[in-house]
Amino acid sequence: MASQGVQRAIREVKPILSLDREEARKRVLNLYKAWYRQIPYIVRQFDVPRTVEQCKVKLREEFTKYDEIKDVRLIDMMVIKGQMELKEVVNNWKQKGHIMAYFKDTLEPRPKDFLSKFLQGKE
Amino acid sequence: MSMLRRLFPVVVRSTSLLNPLKTNSQRAFATEVTEAPNETRPTFRKIDQVSVGQLKDFGRYCAECLPKYIQKVQVTAGDELELLIVPEGVLPVLQFLKDHHNCQFSNLVDIAGMDVPSRECRFEVIYNILSLRFNARIRVKTYTDELTPIESCNDIYKAANWYEREIWDMYGVFFSNHPDLRRILTDYGFEGHPFRKDFPLSGYVEVRYDDEKKRVVVEPLELAQEFRRFELSAPWEQFPNFRNANPAQEEVKTEKEKK
Repeated sequence: MASQGVQRAIREVKPILSLDREEARKRVLNLYKAWYRQIPYIVRQFDVPRTVEQCKVKLREEFTKYDEIKDVRLIDMMVIKGQMELKEVVNNWKQKGHIMAYFKDTLEPRPKDFLSKFLQGKE
Repeated sequence: MSMLRRLFPVVVRSTSLLNPLKTNSQRAFATEVTEAPNETRPTFRKIDQVSVGQLKDFGRYCAECLPKYIQKVQVTAGDELELLIVPEGVLPVLQFLKDHHNCQFSNLVDIAGMDVPSRECRFEVIYNILSLRFNARIRVKTYTDELTPIESCNDIYKAANWYEREIWDMYGVFFSNHPDLRRILTDYGFEGHPFRKDFPLSGYVEVRYDDEKKRVVVEPLELAQEFRRFELSAPWEQFPNFRNANPAQEEVKTEKEKK
């Protein structure tokens, strides 16, 4: 079992962008900064019904959602996707609906207790 | 009649001159006599065994030229040549097939993806290329997994640009050094790769126009009824006529394996 673990640890893989954790971390921070600096423009450009502060909180939430991911290649892949998404925003390919999709503001929380379930008529 | 007889060999010779897959080294290989019986049933496609033999020779020739990259050569569906290569060999093999005088596969017809979740490298990337010069087609297959990038062949075939974007979008195979890798078919903000086998048929989200918000909203999918799973396999044999059919692939023995 231990030897299997060692084997897996030394399995050679082709890196996507970063060679070690530190480099991957820098890429994530760069992406975060790029989004952070873009937020005031996004709010103005798309007429987002949120303040800049609320958007920054959302941005942080979107990044911290993946805190537990440690695999360098997985981080790289997500950074690449995040970069593409930022490009879609900056070039105005996305529309207001796509931006607001991050906030999920039309979602009603699912009923938890008996009475609200009863009132909603589900089960 | 004698005219015809005189003409005939000339015609034959000229076509054989044009034939692609007759390489210089062909004399080195003794063309195998194929055992496959000639197809006599009228509704079945006839396969020209001579050209299949030439294809096999050509496959052997390629495997001899690029022994480092070509893992296997096979003939599929009777007369379609396939080269199975390692992921590192995409650029050298395609460059060889495009530029070598005996190949000249200058057209990229399509790049396809395939997902087999049970394999260790679950994705296959399949290049279909065409040689207009020799009127021949060849298929190059390679493999990868979710996180291993494949070299983009955009510098060799300009047509690869959108095909690789499509595979990136549908399967999530990353192509390194692609000039403009971004989504091509899915909507902005779409998450996931729809052609992966573990992506549900109904998707994760649904989109509708909200009259209050005056915009399109994205919400998680809620189906009133669970998506039905039809049991399609029957207890009896489906295609008894194909019980003794030839296997889909036929491996071509290369020099490497003979030694």
